Amino acid sequence: MSDKKQPVSRRQFLNYTLTGVGGFMAAAMLSPMVRMAVDPVLQPKEGGEFHATGTEVKNITEEPIRVDFSFEQQDAWYVSEVSKTAWVYKNESGDVIAFSPICKHLGCIVKWEGGQGNENQYYCPCHGGLYEKNGANVPGTPPLAPLDQYKVKIQDGMLYLGEVIPNKVV
Amino acid sequence: MKWSGQDVSLYSQSKEFVDTGIVPLIPYSLSGSEKELTQLANQSELLTLFMKEVEEEYRGRIFLAPSYTYLKETSIDKEIERINEWTERMEAEGFKHLLFFTFDQQWKKVERKLNPSLIWLPLPQVDDIHNEEAKKVLRSQIDQVTELITAYWQE
Repeated sequence: MSDKKQPVSRRQFLNYTLTGVGGFMAAAMLSPMVRMAVDPVLQPKEGGEFHATGTEVKNITEEPIRVDFSFEQQDAWYVSEVSKTAWVYKNESGDVIAFSPICKHLGCIVKWEGGQGNENQYYCPCHGGLYEKNGANVPGTPPLAPLDQYKVKIQDGMLYLGEVIPNKVV
Repeated sequence: MKWSGQDVSLYSQSKEFVDTGIVPLIPYSLSGSEKELTQLANQSELLTLFMKEVEEEYRGRIFLAPSYTYLKETSIDKEIERINEWTERMEAEGFKHLLFFTFDQQWKKVERKLNPSLIWLPLPQVDDIHNEEAKKVLRSQIDQVTELITAYWQE
């Protein structure tokens, strides 16, 4: 090689190679650390999942219907099949609303038009709690809060229900 | 509510709303043929399941006591005495309806000597409580039991 034609000097060449190799080595060490640090962000959010109910959205009317669904849930010690129930209806604008049937008083299961003479209301058989169709608790009955809602997702015409959230209809 | 730390603390806060106690009566024995023992164990498993379901439906008004377990060989008169003692204690705490559930027929014969209400249920003949058919049968029986309890409340 002639002295004039030296686009890359020996010093430069060594600098580049060392920086390159060193960079790879550093990346190999750092990337698992970074992955671990951001891991909680990447985890799918527990409770953010939706569960299939097997109910077609077109079968939901303005009259609340009972929808039962089950899914596997992992508790601290074991995986178990959990069964849940929802009261589902369509409101005036056609949105699907799903209520948790758990009475806000002491946790019994409420029924749509249960008991006698409770038209257009949810009735709790335990202490006579009443809720309107939109989940609002009827004053003068034991419950002090409206029924909770399920998060609703509609996919391919089927109803999926997610976590329980406070009532947003009332 | 049931006999667990969390529920009992809720119970203490809302005693005035809990007026119904349910207790499963579960026989236990290890002497007998395979068939007899299977049947006994099934009784225990199914009754526990029934009670759990009933409790979940009406947990705000019902208290599910721990299972009353007895040896099949013990004389029934001794057990009657103990059961009446359980009943007395619960009545003293304000329980108005005490319902003892069982699949064991021998209680039916001595029902009159018992202070609580006895509810004898025929044992559903299912091989595996986890298959879909069995689940339907059990579900309908459980629904009938919950209906029955509301009937007591309407008295």
